Amino acid sequence: MSTNLNAGVSNAQVKPLRILILGGTGFIGPHQVEYALSRGHKITLFNRGQTNPGLFPNVEKLIGDRNASDGYSSLKGRTWDVVVDNPTQIPRWVREAGAALKDNTQKYVFVSTLSTFKNRKEIGIKEDGPLNDPAPYDAVPGGFTPPDPARPTATYGQLKVRCEMEARDAFGDKALIVRPGLIVGPGDLTDRFSYWPVRIEQGGEVLAPGTPDDPVAFIDARDLTEWMIRLVENGANGTFNAVGPRYGMTVSQMLYGCKAVTSSSATFTWVDADFLLERKLRPYSELPVWMPPRGDSAGWARMDVSKAIDAGLTFRPLADTARETLVYYHAQTPERQATLKAGLPPEKEREALAAWHIKIGH
Amino acid sequence: MIDNPTANPKWVRDAGKALKGRTKHYIFVSTISVFSDNSKPVDESGPLNTPTDIEAPFDASKYGNNKVRSEQEAKAQFGNNVTIVRPGLIVGPGDLSDRFSYWPVRIDRGGEILAPGTPDDPAQYVDAQDLSSWIIRLAENRTMGIFNATGPKTPTTIAEMLYGIKAVTTSDAKFTWVPADFLAEKEVRPWTEMPVWIPPIGRTYGFMRVNCQKAYAAGLTFRPLADTAKDTLVWYHGRPAAEQEKARAGLAPEKEKTVLAAWHAKQLAAK
Repeated sequence: MSTNLNAGVSNAQVKPLRILILGGTGFIGPHQVEYALSRGHKITLFNRGQTNPGLFPNVEKLIGDRNASDGYSSLKGRTWDVVVDNPTQIPRWVREAGAALKDNTQKYVFVSTLSTFKNRKEIGIKEDGPLNDPAPYDAVPGGFTPPDPARPTATYGQLKVRCEMEARDAFGDKALIVRPGLIVGPGDLTDRFSYWPVRIEQGGEVLAPGTPDDPVAFIDARDLTEWMIRLVENGANGTFNAVGPRYGMTVSQMLYGCKAVTSSSATFTWVDADFLLERKLRPYSELPVWMPPRGDSAGWARMDVSKAIDAGLTFRPLADTARETLVYYHAQTPERQATLKAGLPPEKEREALAAWHIKIGH
Repeated sequence: MIDNPTANPKWVRDAGKALKGRTKHYIFVSTISVFSDNSKPVDESGPLNTPTDIEAPFDASKYGNNKVRSEQEAKAQFGNNVTIVRPGLIVGPGDLSDRFSYWPVRIDRGGEILAPGTPDDPAQYVDAQDLSSWIIRLAENRTMGIFNATGPKTPTTIAEMLYGIKAVTTSDAKFTWVPADFLAEKEVRPWTEMPVWIPPIGRTYGFMRVNCQKAYAAGLTFRPLADTAKDTLVWYHGRPAAEQEKARAGLAPEKEKTVLAAWHAKQLAAK
């Protein structure tokens, strides 16, 4: 079947699929479920029943713990058209999912990461770019170790490479591998984009990283998950880089675009990369989304995503992402709102700005 | 009693004669073009243009002078019961002058876009909906006096405006910033062909830096730019096709292409 899904955004009648989602209650899962239901698919969720158990009361839920020896027993005797394995970095989980499901599904979708690539020096890395050395199969020992996506271990990319290998070994041609970049938007628990709309909405002088023209890349969780559903509707196979926006974006376009959804008093002070690194302000985590566009990270925000776009990946306007992120943020508890997991602490931002003004003399 | 934009002082005088004593509050919508010196940021007390002679034949080209005279007539007719609001560029859905609409429409169309001056040049504008709802609140509160009225509340750059507009689209727009002197050389007119933008230098240094603190203190607020941009696009696309084609401000596509090509050639030659 063709993977050219440019018309895939239409709501034309699609054949209803039986889709099993492993996980499905975290950040990207709920968006995926909602969209799949809206397209008429039949969804089953498989998880421990511990995260957001009240979500989707009308969706079938099977309970299982992927760390338990008989963790997949609730899936026995069932078949699906598609299995979607939302983010895991544990190779063992993928192998065991294979053992439990490879004969019971037509398709296995694994959510990998652009961090599988060995380096990001090059601009325009395609799907066949060189990958990290795979982590050993048992790099994550038994027992449940919740992955902390905000602080990926040094071997995150290596683990994901191993997971991809396990997926292909187990599912062969049935494996569809999607490699997102930074996933952002409402529901994000890591705040690795949310910091910006939240910070900008607070107003005042905002430390803006690097130069206004530095490139940035990210993908709204809804764009990612909706596209994944359309991919399986269309029977796509293979591996896809998946990040956006479509036409590239600069960090100033991102920040000013976030400002545009607010009535904030924010002003931006651009602080150069060398100064930030000198003062040990960490790109990506303390200065979310941004990486200095040079050296090892020159290609970080400039991966080639034309294959995904040809296969129907679309991008909503930044204003939607920024606005929905703010709506989500303001719906959180005051405690949660007060503890952003990424971005500069106010004190550190103030100090860095003061030092920068002294350095540049005004 | 609210008198929406007229530049003809006689109308103001006649309104005064007809309505004096029959209204408790006369609100006159003037303009920031009343100021004679735009070389620095002005507040309400800035020097004004010479008023036109009310008896002379009406000359629409003397917009700022006419408005000064109209303000004087308003005060003469209604005394202390007058509010004078001096908006800057009024923008948003319904604007028939296209003096902001050009940008959302042009950006939505995509491709390489000629962006004027430097990204940090200041920009001021006010959404018609923000302005008009504030004027109603002025009436409700019986707030008298003179108010400069443009925004946003804190200094905003032309890049913030253009990139903010882009954020409501999925356009492939790319911006090429062309300096003021090159635009002047190519006879690209600020304000009309490059809407919202006036070179922030020399005689027009203060044009986009008007002090409106008094209006902000009196309750003028600003909706997000994304709302203005999106509403403008929706409104524009709802207009008859013939009107859409005849945008009244902005750079003609051919001229934009020519100037961009000349700019790139100059850049190349400099290397």
